[in-house]
Amino acid sequence: MSAPVISLRGLSKRFGPVWANREVDLDLYSGRVHALLGENGAGKSTLMSILAGRYSADNGTVIRHGREVSFNSPAKALDHGVGMVYQRFMLIESMTVAENLALTVGKKYGRQDVDHEIRQTAEQYGLAVDPEKRIFELSMGERQRVEIIKLLMLDAEVLIFDEPTSVLTPPEVDALFVVIDRLRSEGKTIVLITHKLEEVLKLADDISIMRRGRLVISEPIEARQMSRQQLARLMVGRDVVLRVDKKEVAVGETVLALQGFSGDSHVGGPAFTDVTFEIKKGEIFSIIGVAGNGQAGLVSAIAGLTRAEAGTITFAGTTYTAREWGMAGAREIAYVPEDRYHSGSIASMSIADNFGLTRLQAYKTGFAGMLLDREKMAADGSRAIREHNIVVESGEDRAGTLSGGNLQKVILARELTRNAKLFIAEQPTQGLDISATEDIWRVLLECREKAGVLLVTGDLKEVLSLSDRIGVIFNGRLLEVIDAHDSDQVDRVGLLMAGVRS
Amino acid sequence: MIRVEKRKEPLRYQGAVAASSAVVIAFLVGCVIFAGLGVHPLTAYLAMGKGVFSSVDAFSEVLVKATPLIFTGLAVATAASMMLWNIGAEGQLVWGGICAAGTALFLFPGMDAWLVIPLVLAASALGGLVWSLIPALLKAKLKVNEILTTLLLNYVAIIYMEHLFYGPWRDPAGFGFPGTAQIPEAAHLVRFAGTRISLGFPLALLCAVFLFYLLKKSIWGYQVLVIGKEQRAARYAGFNVNGKILTVMALSGAFAGMAGMVEVCGIHYRLQTGLAVGYGYDGIIVAWLAGLNPLAVPITAILLGALFVGGEQLQSVLGLPSSISLILEGALLFGLFAGQALGGYTVTISGRSKVAS
Amino acid sequence: MIEDLIFITQISIKSSVAVLLATVGGIITERSGVLNLGIEGMMLVGALAGFAAGHFTQSPMIAVAAGTLAGGLLSLVHAFFTIALRSNQVLSGLALTILGTGLANFLGRPLIGQTGVRIRQLPIPLLSDIPVIGEVFFNQSPFAYAAYLLVPLVWFALFRTRTGLVLRAVGEDARSADAAGVNVELTRALSVFVGGLFAGLAGTYLSLSYTPGWKETMTGGQGWIAIAMIIFCTWNPLLAFFGALLFGGLTALQFFFQATSMDLIPSYILKMLPYLLTIGVLVLVSASSRHRKSASPADLGVPFYREL
Repeated sequence: MSAPVISLRGLSKRFGPVWANREVDLDLYSGRVHALLGENGAGKSTLMSILAGRYSADNGTVIRHGREVSFNSPAKALDHGVGMVYQRFMLIESMTVAENLALTVGKKYGRQDVDHEIRQTAEQYGLAVDPEKRIFELSMGERQRVEIIKLLMLDAEVLIFDEPTSVLTPPEVDALFVVIDRLRSEGKTIVLITHKLEEVLKLADDISIMRRGRLVISEPIEARQMSRQQLARLMVGRDVVLRVDKKEVAVGETVLALQGFSGDSHVGGPAFTDVTFEIKKGEIFSIIGVAGNGQAGLVSAIAGLTRAEAGTITFAGTTYTAREWGMAGAREIAYVPEDRYHSGSIASMSIADNFGLTRLQAYKTGFAGMLLDREKMAADGSRAIREHNIVVESGEDRAGTLSGGNLQKVILARELTRNAKLFIAEQPTQGLDISATEDIWRVLLECREKAGVLLVTGDLKEVLSLSDRIGVIFNGRLLEVIDAHDSDQVDRVGLLMAGVRS
Repeated sequence: MIRVEKRKEPLRYQGAVAASSAVVIAFLVGCVIFAGLGVHPLTAYLAMGKGVFSSVDAFSEVLVKATPLIFTGLAVATAASMMLWNIGAEGQLVWGGICAAGTALFLFPGMDAWLVIPLVLAASALGGLVWSLIPALLKAKLKVNEILTTLLLNYVAIIYMEHLFYGPWRDPAGFGFPGTAQIPEAAHLVRFAGTRISLGFPLALLCAVFLFYLLKKSIWGYQVLVIGKEQRAARYAGFNVNGKILTVMALSGAFAGMAGMVEVCGIHYRLQTGLAVGYGYDGIIVAWLAGLNPLAVPITAILLGALFVGGEQLQSVLGLPSSISLILEGALLFGLFAGQALGGYTVTISGRSKVAS
Repeated sequence: MIEDLIFITQISIKSSVAVLLATVGGIITERSGVLNLGIEGMMLVGALAGFAAGHFTQSPMIAVAAGTLAGGLLSLVHAFFTIALRSNQVLSGLALTILGTGLANFLGRPLIGQTGVRIRQLPIPLLSDIPVIGEVFFNQSPFAYAAYLLVPLVWFALFRTRTGLVLRAVGEDARSADAAGVNVELTRALSVFVGGLFAGLAGTYLSLSYTPGWKETMTGGQGWIAIAMIIFCTWNPLLAFFGALLFGGLTALQFFFQATSMDLIPSYILKMLPYLLTIGVLVLVSASSRHRKSASPADLGVPFYREL
């Protein structure tokens, strides 16, 4: 193999106390597709954003053609031929394709030449797009093509794709793969950030896997003749250590049952279709899937925050149609949302005040229930701090000053005090350290003694540690429900997450 | 290299820091202007201070000016606690004045004070409330930007008021003077001990206390504050955001409407040009200087009132235009921004430790 | 009858010039994503500076330059606070109007009642001889001609040049513009400054030509009308011409009804109409933007932070 086009040496980046990247070494070669794998939060996107000049590294060097270079802005990186197609496209929606491209490459070409150059680049790489269309009129696939054309017109040698297929339809994915193949044969270097194994096996020449900010493996894919199973294992690090005692709990009555539940995703990503499952008191039912497979919309509909389109939902013995449920609002469900910083809590309010967010009914007092019982709120807050070992000075501390783990415990404690029949936890340990994760796991296990628990997560380790039954969601559909105690079946979860049903 | 970063945690006393830096900066701007005019800044500020504090009469004028400012400040603060902009307190004040004058003059002209005063007050609050509901409904139903609608409606209200007192409501015995007839004595607000301070002042203080407790102690207030701070959390908790837009703006408009009432029934005793002099806009400064804290609103309103009275004093003693108070008012607000910006950032000088500003 | 119409149209155009200039300037500023509610203040300062410069130098050129520049300089205060310090744009704009009004009233006090230079109507040879049209359009002050020229010029600059593309990109999506290598802060600051120059010029027109002299309330809220007009014409300078003319027309009708003692439409309704119509346009824009992209610059009023 020839010398690397670009090399990273000892790259580190910290966000506050968290190491997003630690001592990363990476070589990229021309004419090859390099897949960068890892779970959410493993540091893939951060690493590539550094390479593309959007973030600056705290330590380490970037070596381009044997010379040390520093990229302190995306423009500078592009000068060195490195460009990135972000998950959120950097396109101005109300402007046309030609205008967007002129904005970026206009200085290089005259205004008249831009149109000509667009057509030529588009033709050369098979990237059909109408220059006169406005961006908001384009499909996601077309927008992505505009981004690729943009990089090519700027003579990018290294093209980084951040989860390029997450917003695409299957035919668009195929088209993208053709383009990437073309780019490779033209001698470009491609970096593919992804957690979809299919793509890796289809496209990649080299593969790197990141876990918790570190690079655990980086080598050509042929080196190990890697199979899907091996990849899946490497990615999630299937060293599941059960550090939580899982007490036997008697399974009680059905708390929640969905039948043919379908609806739009109100939060981006695909819709969810024909979802059917039930949760009983005393069990943890997990829905696992790669982010963006419809689980966000599903949870928000179950929690009654958005309205599903079809199907029925049975809660505590009463059956509602999708519409009725949305309107009734699920006041009886405890819900720990994924976004603990902006949905689950209010950063500028005290812990005590945060206790009121979903529990106002319990704090009504005086004047026909118009007043707020602040004493009770403060007392509940203090009790939660004691009971869950939340590290703070007092209940008057602002939620924004808490660490992620402590904040999550506050939210968890609040939702627990609602004594709901159903408890939903959405990505409850994302971004938390090990000890906080274990604390939260313990709480969830305790919780199932009094309620049915719905755990929605992308973390395989979490699912295997906690669940009684596991539902795998892919592309909006619940592919299979697996008994967590059946170890043969459990081995298939990783593959099912990638949509492989063998 | 100096790097300015956004502070993750706001300073503990950020409001106080910002407000005091506002005062300092306004003071310095004043110094420059006075010096530029060849007047010793100390002489000028002394003249202003003397005008404000020299006598009970003088200081009472400060409270007279502060009274409508407290109301409009509360109006702006109410809306802003939910991150709504009520730039329309001026128009709501005008409608409060129109309704107060109309009620006193035409609806209940012969009634006793104990009956007519509450009626007039209610009418003015209702007038402001209804006027503020127009932008509120447009915002809640059609997502029309309330900054612009509240602002535009000010002009509509003022033009209509002028039409009334130049036209159909003009005092027939007024020798063509633009203004309505005087309202009946029963509708005059009681004044205190020979000053022009009326019942409106304690009423304004009462409203400030009321708003403070409403926001702090009621379920409604809690929801309003949550919506103002974090819309996503409010949606997660299932709060009715659109409903709150209506009630918040209604309360805001009611406060502003009462400002019109205390002006008409406490000062002018008629509807005339002097009613719309910008108290609605000043209320924005009062509210933000107070850090949107209802209990601080009377303080900043009195500060601004003192600035106005001091400015007038400057004109009569030193012959300097009283519009100096406008300049200082603008400088106060810019000073507030500077203070907020300083408090909101940390300045790092590379290689050294962090310098908190 | 024809004479009445000519009179009304001529006054309409005369009364629309200041609003037109301020609106076009405001469009430039808002297209870059900065809301500046300080137009009234900048106009007043421009009016005073123009008048004062004329009073002391007797030079119309210096007067116009001074007035224009004064508006621009005041706008830099807004630029500094909103762009460098990321202060709230609504509050900063209001503060600018208060500050500008205060400055103009304060510094202008000694000039009340004084005489300055006066820029009169300048009939354009040949064109002004065209019947009706000549009288209406080509027997105006140089300010009006400048406004006629500036409107299409600004439109061309905004929509047909690279500079305009960059400016609009910053206002639509500052993050993407930044990624494209645009200097967001500088672009916004310059747009605010140019908007200030236009407001200053608008004010200068008032004190040198429309109602020559210096009076504290001489803008009479035209700065706020301009802010309404920016929305009314959906941030398009070509439509600003019609918006301003509408305002001018309503003003002219008031004059006309007053002069002829006719009262077809009560004058208070005429005065309210620009505001009411603007609210109507706002409602329409909001209602239609649910289905497609609205005309408003998407990043209007949103401060820009670059991630570190």
